[in-house]
Amino acid sequence: MKLSQLTATVGAAALAATWISIAAAPARAETGVTDDTIKIGALGVLTGPNAKFGDTIYNGVEAVYRQANAAGGIHGRMIEYVREDDRCQAAEAVGAVKKLIHQHQVFMIHGGACSNASLAAKPEIVAVGVPWVITASTASSLTDPVHPRIFTTMLAGWMESYAQVQYAIDQGMKRIAIVAQHDNWGRSRYDPLIEAFKRQGIEPVADEEIAPDPSDGTPQALRLQAAQADAVILILFPKAAAVVLRDTYKIGYRPFLIGGSTVGDVGVFASNVGIPGAADKLHAVSTIGYTADDPAMAEWKAKVEAAFPNDTFNIYHMFGIASGQFVVEALRRAGRDLTRESVSQAMTDLSVQTDPYAGPITCTPTNHQCHNTAAWFGLVDGVTNRVGVTAVTR
Amino acid sequence: MRRLFSRRNVVAAGLVFFAVLPFVANPYVIFIGNLALMYILLSVGLNMLLGYAGQLAFAHAALFGVGAYTTGLLKLELDLHYGLALVAGVGLATVTGLAVAMPALRLRGLYLALATVAFAQATLWVFTHWNSVTYGGAGFRVPPLDFEPFTPRPDIGVYALTYVIVLASVPLGWNLLRSRVGRAWVAIRESEVAAESLGIDITRYKAIAYVVSAMYAGTAGGLFAGMLGIVTPESFDLFQVIVHFCMVIVGGLGSIWGGVIGAVGLVGLQEVLRAFRHLQEIAFGGLILFTVLVIPGGAVSLLKRYLPGWKEPLRRTEHDE
Repeated sequence: MKLSQLTATVGAAALAATWISIAAAPARAETGVTDDTIKIGALGVLTGPNAKFGDTIYNGVEAVYRQANAAGGIHGRMIEYVREDDRCQAAEAVGAVKKLIHQHQVFMIHGGACSNASLAAKPEIVAVGVPWVITASTASSLTDPVHPRIFTTMLAGWMESYAQVQYAIDQGMKRIAIVAQHDNWGRSRYDPLIEAFKRQGIEPVADEEIAPDPSDGTPQALRLQAAQADAVILILFPKAAAVVLRDTYKIGYRPFLIGGSTVGDVGVFASNVGIPGAADKLHAVSTIGYTADDPAMAEWKAKVEAAFPNDTFNIYHMFGIASGQFVVEALRRAGRDLTRESVSQAMTDLSVQTDPYAGPITCTPTNHQCHNTAAWFGLVDGVTNRVGVTAVTR
Repeated sequence: MRRLFSRRNVVAAGLVFFAVLPFVANPYVIFIGNLALMYILLSVGLNMLLGYAGQLAFAHAALFGVGAYTTGLLKLELDLHYGLALVAGVGLATVTGLAVAMPALRLRGLYLALATVAFAQATLWVFTHWNSVTYGGAGFRVPPLDFEPFTPRPDIGVYALTYVIVLASVPLGWNLLRSRVGRAWVAIRESEVAAESLGIDITRYKAIAYVVSAMYAGTAGGLFAGMLGIVTPESFDLFQVIVHFCMVIVGGLGSIWGGVIGAVGLVGLQEVLRAFRHLQEIAFGGLILFTVLVIPGGAVSLLKRYLPGWKEPLRRTEHDE
């Protein structure tokens, strides 16, 4: 290689590398905060079939931020909300979070949908010390043990399972059975469920497994009937849950059914089952305290659908709204002299009653799993209604 | 001007670029650079099996996972030095590659594809359900790596290690392909009957292809575990197989440099398209369609046609000295 060529080559490479470093501008006094803006980042699944767990939730968050901005901002600063796609993949999540922190230079992270992706992103967030409010990831290890700058506004994974056992007992059930799918998602709820049974000192009278995408649930239904279970806890996706409901109904067995959040919209689920009366004895747990068409949510429904015309208001928007209201309040409490430390401090001792949740989001210095109020929904006269609330404890 | 983009110059520029990157770029850009380097290993390894030996095998992502899981678990459970854990990961992936090769040697075409897809799915099932060893669907965290006294930053340490391994592995593959082994692979790809009639031991050379490819995949897996700091089953699913195939096809099937270009190009494209979200999948699909329909030889075929020094003869030439 001639010297001139080598020089040109090295020069071009150095120029490209320098260009990249310049693109990543150096940090200012408090990263992500200017006199009139606060830049907040979201990482989560924004594309593909799981986008509702990310993008839809973030539309709810953004609706809250837009409302705050329209009211003059937070101490005069407007919130900018930047989203990066992690596609529910660990490698993508690491890239996304590094981009948010080092390229976009965000002040804090407000997001996180898939648990494994969020777990992959956590070390970078911890290393840099960025405050992080998790919107949807349920893995308990994200917030337990407590990290001073990490908080979640979603029910932790174990809470739903604990709530199901607690609710069965509260309803006076004595012979409780389980039907679960044992894939990744199912195991993450099944293991805490068994733990919850043990803590209550009871044993399930039957423990049935079913595939996530079954065509027949008759054998399981017959075994549940033989075990004379008066309540059945479902750890199932809607498709499997519909099959179990159909086949228990078919054999004339009508136990009290305790569903998970996957069937939280009981009315929609009942219509998918398609057999009148089959879901009458189903109560399902939910993170939120209202249905999407509840009059209490009408104002938010209008705001979200106006801001995002392609969206139909649903429970995922409501997760985002609750989380957004919590963050806005924390930013207000942190004051005009906003720092990562001050907002983390504000959140450490903060209780906010949000519009979509049945109970307050309450963080304490020893507990950053800040939402622990599970609401129960069932059909009353054919209409979905809230039928109970459980404050989940371990 | 054409000489400026000769292979030597471009490779030299690439080497300098990746060498300078950790000194000037922010951690995000360094991570992307590391990802590209790691995918170069994967892509070059897959190209040997798929592009040169002509084996339509889908086990690569699984072997990548075996390397990652072995390295990560040895670090986590035994607190083994990362270097040793990486070597063990490469070793187990290689042995697994050989185990895959044994039945696969008797299969061809669609049957081989189906058998290796089944292997990939079975491996994924083990990653997901062997809770007591693999930590199931939630995966596990790899303890922080220590690269002292070279650097206090683990991300830079992994980057440097990946860079050095790529620096050694790509020329190794390049030389292998221009040796008797590479020529035997190409002969097998073109016609097994003809190759056998030339006295080529088909079983032996196919097995070598599986083993060498598995070594590259295992190495990439071990580096992936160190770079990410977490190992989860979904990182090794069938989508990963598709990504690896895309890199090889878009870069150039049956070309070492095609593998390199495909890996760097697709990682770069993926990052550029991050901002356009839904466009990403469309762009990826479009790129593959375009490559298959318009430039079936991949990006490297254009370089071979229009620029000097990009041809890859299966023998050493005086220009290589």
